[in-house]
Amino acid sequence: MFDNLIARAIVPVTIAVTGFVIFGCILLYTFVKQDMTSEAIGYLSNCADTVIKSTSVAMMEDDRNSIQNIVSNIGTRSNVEYIRIYDQEGTVQFSGENEPEGQSKTVDDHINEFLQTDTFTKDTALHDIDHAHGHITVSLPILNEPTCMTSACHFHSESEDALGFFTIAISSDSLEESLAMLRYRMMVFSVMVLFLTIGGVTALLRMNLFLPILRLTYNAEQAAQGVAESGLPKSDHKLGKLNKDFRQLVKQRDEAVQQIKAMESPDKNVDDGPR
Amino acid sequence: MTQETEAPLPDINPLRKQVQAKIKRLELLSSTGLWILALFTALSMGAFRNFDFLPPLSDGIRAALGVGPPVKYINWALVVYGFSAIILILTQMASDNKPRGALAHFGYLGAFYLFYHFSEGLRENFWAIFAVGLTILGLQSYHVWNYYHEKIHEQNEILHELDKLLD
Repeated sequence: MFDNLIARAIVPVTIAVTGFVIFGCILLYTFVKQDMTSEAIGYLSNCADTVIKSTSVAMMEDDRNSIQNIVSNIGTRSNVEYIRIYDQEGTVQFSGENEPEGQSKTVDDHINEFLQTDTFTKDTALHDIDHAHGHITVSLPILNEPTCMTSACHFHSESEDALGFFTIAISSDSLEESLAMLRYRMMVFSVMVLFLTIGGVTALLRMNLFLPILRLTYNAEQAAQGVAESGLPKSDHKLGKLNKDFRQLVKQRDEAVQQIKAMESPDKNVDDGPR
Repeated sequence: MTQETEAPLPDINPLRKQVQAKIKRLELLSSTGLWILALFTALSMGAFRNFDFLPPLSDGIRAALGVGPPVKYINWALVVYGFSAIILILTQMASDNKPRGALAHFGYLGAFYLFYHFSEGLRENFWAIFAVGLTILGLQSYHVWNYYHEKIHEQNEILHELDKLLD
């Protein structure tokens, strides 16, 4: 198979182009996946921050019913899998309803890490994405803001950075679906490149190289069997000088044969003449 | 009147054996590309498991090695390397040069696996290195196979001529 001229020309081009396209697609997919994941985590962090802001008044007034209602209502959303508010010691104070088993370890890890942290800022957040099970988890500290520490009703010391922790986990199904769609499209694109490379290179080589060579081979066979130059099929000019030179050679051979015949015929006449 | 005696032909059997030995050597060389491809596949199987079968590096060695480069820099290095390596092999093929550098490519790809491993980006980028590695080493193997089969063909023709002389 690989001794065939067409195969020899096509195999390296196909391997190089298709291999590099597949490699490029995989790398591009990795980049896009990272970008989409960080986008999803950023979006969830913003949502978590919004929840904390929306509960701030209830927290300042120590209105536990309102906080529980907010958390429970958010927990009823179909894509919210886990929502909890912890106090400074890491004890659960408020909790949503949908709590799958797989999430608790991630959340416990986040809370344990927070408990070992000394200082908290706006950027202190922990996130985790589990592509295999389809969860995104974000945990944030509930910061001790000036409005809270100066409040007369619900006083906290200024030295306390965090008043508790908030954690939320949502399903990453839509993200996984988008990534699966991207993977599928890239596979289709790679297969198309493979077929186009093989088809395109084969067509170009066949048209510009192999068919002219085959025609020249046929002409050479005919010439070897004694067909005169004028009797050879007309050929195209794709092989340039090679074709012209070949026809010139055959023409010279024809002329030489004619000359030999011409030289032989007077001798024959002389031999046959005087008897 | 002197009687001319026909000079005996030199013994061509040693020459035949030399050619046959050369053909065997060329046959061995023609499969080196595939051996390196097999080695790379074995290395990739280890990388797929994140080299969990190897003992972990001690803290001292880790400290001496320092922090791994950022994954995005390794990605760019991989793109540049993959592109250059493919162009280099295609140039070698086009100019019918003796194939070289298969082991070096294996080394570079192994180094990429290690860099990603130490920068904790191997899991995400494994398939990218595997695809580019298969492409580079596949092309190289094809070139090695093609090049040495041409040489074997030449030697077989010589052997055929020698056999004719023997007959």
